Amino acid sequence: MTKSATLPKEDVRTETALGGSWRVVVLNDPVNLMSYVVLVFRKVFGFDDSTARRRMLEVHEQGRSVVWRGLREKAEAYVFTLQQWHLTAVLEPDEAN
Amino acid sequence: MKRIEVKLAVPIVAPLLDVIREQAAGLRDALAGPTGLPDADPELGESWGGELLEAQRSEIDALLGLFGEEFFREGAVSFDGDNAEVILRACAAVRLRLREHALKTLGDDTLETGELEISRLPRDVNRAFRCYVFLATLQEVIIQHLDESILGG
Repeated sequence: MTKSATLPKEDVRTETALGGSWRVVVLNDPVNLMSYVVLVFRKVFGFDDSTARRRMLEVHEQGRSVVWRGLREKAEAYVFTLQQWHLTAVLEPDEAN
Repeated sequence: MKRIEVKLAVPIVAPLLDVIREQAAGLRDALAGPTGLPDADPELGESWGGELLEAQRSEIDALLGLFGEEFFREGAVSFDGDNAEVILRACAAVRLRLREHALKTLGDDTLETGELEISRLPRDVNRAFRCYVFLATLQEVIIQHLDESILGG
């Protein structure tokens, strides 16, 4: 009988933390202006005006918008930049990928 | 480089500067909004917060620097590609702090809609709310006139 090839739990956690896909989520706040959020999205992600407005409206109407997906290191950099602009941004594992 | 000069009424704006200065003092040691990363190790967390705080202090210094002698003499403040971004951020930081402190009693719905009778507010809240609106107006002016400078910078 072959032993299970499952990695020890600690190794699995390390793999999830460093690899895989992560998402950058912006949460709604009642303070920042819509025009400000649009500008920040255009500046930080290079979105065109229409995409930036769509994402801003998602934040405003649904309370959150996933603005970027990808590797953790780059996702962290985006979260830092968004927080530097005083937006409420969080990092989440992208369970869909 | 595109530059805009905004003329302000000194007697109206000067009292609001006291509000900005009060909030600015608090923003030297505390970040305006929620920050950080989930499951970050303590060293990264400390460095993360430290860098954000340092940037925030620079923003606040730039905002306070707008209202120097020239402002009180001429009533004018100027924005260009060099200061637009930091002033925008500073305004956001002060507004967030006002929400958490001086305007806490108003509630988020009221802040978001702006639907309230300012004249009925207690004096301190009234002044803080006028400052909150004033900073938003500065942001709107900058975004309207200098967005290309910021996006290109």
